[in-house]
Amino acid sequence: MIIRKVLSCLMALMLVISASTSAQEAAEAESRDQFRSLDRDVQDLKKEVLDLNRDLFLLEEELLFPANSQVAFFISMDVGEYFKLDSVSLQIDGKEVANYLYTDREVDALLQGGVHRVHMANLKTGDHELIAIFTGEGPHARDYRRGATLSIEKGIGAKYMELEITDRIKKQQPEFVVREWE
Amino acid sequence: MRIARSIAVTLSLCCVFLLPPAQSQAADDDGEPTIVKDPHYGEVLFYFYQEDYFPAIVRLLASQSQSNLDNHVDDSELLLGGMYLSYGHHLEAARIFERLLANNVNPEIRDRTWFFLAKIWMQRGYLEQSQQALDRIEGELPRNLQREALMLQAQIMIDAGDYPAAIALLQNWQGETEWARYAKFNLGVALVRNGQVDAAEEILADLGEMNPFNDELGSLRDKANLALGYALLQDGRPLAAKPALQRVRLEGPFSNKALLGVGWADAELESYQRALVPWMELRSRDLLDSAVQESMLAIPYALAKLDSISQAADHYLNAIEAYYEESNRLDRTIAHIDSGDMFREFVSADPLGSTGWYWRLEELPDGPEARYLFHLLSTHEFQEGLKNYRDLKYMHRNLDEWQQSVDVYANMLETREQAYAERLPRVEETLARADLDGMVDRKLEFDSLLNDIESSNDWLALATPAEFEMWGEIAGLEATPALSADIPEAAEARDKIALLRGVLQWDLEKQFRDRLWRIRRNLRQTGEALAQTQRARRQIDESMRQQPLEFAAFSERVYSLEPRIEGMKIRIEDQIVEQRAYLRNIAVGELQAQKDRLDIYTVQARFALAAVYDIAATVGEVSE
Repeated sequence: MIIRKVLSCLMALMLVISASTSAQEAAEAESRDQFRSLDRDVQDLKKEVLDLNRDLFLLEEELLFPANSQVAFFISMDVGEYFKLDSVSLQIDGKEVANYLYTDREVDALLQGGVHRVHMANLKTGDHELIAIFTGEGPHARDYRRGATLSIEKGIGAKYMELEITDRIKKQQPEFVVREWE
Repeated sequence: MRIARSIAVTLSLCCVFLLPPAQSQAADDDGEPTIVKDPHYGEVLFYFYQEDYFPAIVRLLASQSQSNLDNHVDDSELLLGGMYLSYGHHLEAARIFERLLANNVNPEIRDRTWFFLAKIWMQRGYLEQSQQALDRIEGELPRNLQREALMLQAQIMIDAGDYPAAIALLQNWQGETEWARYAKFNLGVALVRNGQVDAAEEILADLGEMNPFNDELGSLRDKANLALGYALLQDGRPLAAKPALQRVRLEGPFSNKALLGVGWADAELESYQRALVPWMELRSRDLLDSAVQESMLAIPYALAKLDSISQAADHYLNAIEAYYEESNRLDRTIAHIDSGDMFREFVSADPLGSTGWYWRLEELPDGPEARYLFHLLSTHEFQEGLKNYRDLKYMHRNLDEWQQSVDVYANMLETREQAYAERLPRVEETLARADLDGMVDRKLEFDSLLNDIESSNDWLALATPAEFEMWGEIAGLEATPALSADIPEAAEARDKIALLRGVLQWDLEKQFRDRLWRIRRNLRQTGEALAQTQRARRQIDESMRQQPLEFAAFSERVYSLEPRIEGMKIRIEDQIVEQRAYLRNIAVGELQAQKDRLDIYTVQARFALAAVYDIAATVGEVSE
């Protein structure tokens, strides 16, 4: 008799635990509402922090690199069949100003069409010489190191230079093109 | 000119991680490539392709405000929306998509985007928004997405308790694909919840007997069998429930509940000896599972039914002891969570290298709570809450770094201002010494003089000093009185002097035009240099006028940003506290529920133990 009571209690308990859906659903709905309310607050903060970051980013750039003297150097890759980029080194007027080592993830991003701003500088108006040295793995998995030289004529206003690595299919060699963005 | 993926593909990439691999491949292959026409756009893509959404968004916003993306106006807006989505900023993403996609010529992109938004909103618990996004899909989605969208729709209906609508939607699903099987399962669940157990039985049994060709379907098969078994048990049909429960694999996330259910089915059929077999199997499993906890009560119950009173009493005592220990462990874990250590460990174990939607905690921190957290982490609520918590931490650290930079900029600005103030008097003094206007006057005088020389053909005016001296000497000789004498020597000397004068004059006249041209050229160059100097002077004057204004403007920006950062940090800190409290409540709520369940089991065990002792005593008295 007592055992039967125990059984019924246990079964009832099991059913309570497994089938107490209405109370559970109400609790879930309450929790969902609370989550949404917090989520909205976080979303608002995210927006404000992003806007603040934009303002800070612009301030930093304008303060450190005023438009009149600003020169930005970008690295890009097209195809990349004959060259796997490891690093880029930049010299301006004989002085090394940047030496950047690329991760695989960054190289992938370049191959997909991303453009990396490798260096920003302030240059006086007039002529300057840029030497870019690319190191990596060339055709037949050999170490590869190539340089490209360019004269820069810095006028008034910001200047953007792109150092592009492309494949020269005819020669099965990489090619390094330095050019100015309009 | 750089060629990147098409913007359609770019957008798909934002959402692609939500797709199974086969579909993500498809999303990767279509669309025309986009030509990168602005380096700043390429720079945004550089971070975007690395899934570093925060710096990518910041650069995009900065470039937009500087009008550096004029060649990618639409692309950049669409990309921004996609990145907001990836960063977990879905409300802002939706605002952009609503604005941009309303007029987008490519309905396929538009529909896909609404689908992904619907999915993300569903996972974040925004059921109404998810439904609205689904309603915005106008055309036909690609087949895989279409199936998923239908499933999403059914899930929204089930979550909203609208079982008849979900049943109506799901029962027309045709085919034998993986999606069709998930649809069947959801249909079965909707039917059970709608009280149509008989109709559900056929569907879930069919699903429970399928031959799964991958782990996911194996898991689905187990779920179907478990749902069917318990539905039938609750419907009072233990005999029918047993085969379904026995089909659940012995090793798997559903096996404990299935073993418990098989035991209860046997117990309902009064086959206690049989019931003991699955329940005994559960004894060796993790006590964290409620099925294992419950089996500790079920075993002595069956033993008592089989008249093994003493064994039953021992098992009840074991159960009480095990529940007590587990309950103590839960208390310690709750205390650990309450101390806040757990959330600090969560973040310290993670480098905060990336943010947003795709982040998942890879490893649980070590600690007493780790074994309880597997379950918590499998819930969307906790995962999403943790993502927000982590994003808040990231933002706080980001602002910390900016705060240091802004301090440096403020110092830098002060130093610049000071250096400028020191240099200014020297510059002003130098400028005052340079009589530019006087130089211009002198140049004009030269111009006028040269004009006179030219008009009067005054070739002597352009003679070199040596020539001029020679000319003077000749004139001097000519004036010598001795040369006037009427003697042959004087006449010869006069002739020679006249010849010298003639030669010199001839030379000077011959070179006059050339010399005039050279002098005019030099004068023109001097004029240009003077004009350039005047321009430079004007620039210096303008700079001197502008510089204090620029310093003031920069100072205002720097000093207005400082309180903005500080204020934002305080708000983030408050939000972190709230978010942590929310996560703490979920975690502690879950653990407390387990503890409450253990308390109930303990009471039941004590009650049953008393009953068993009672029986033993009664049997003893009778035998005496």
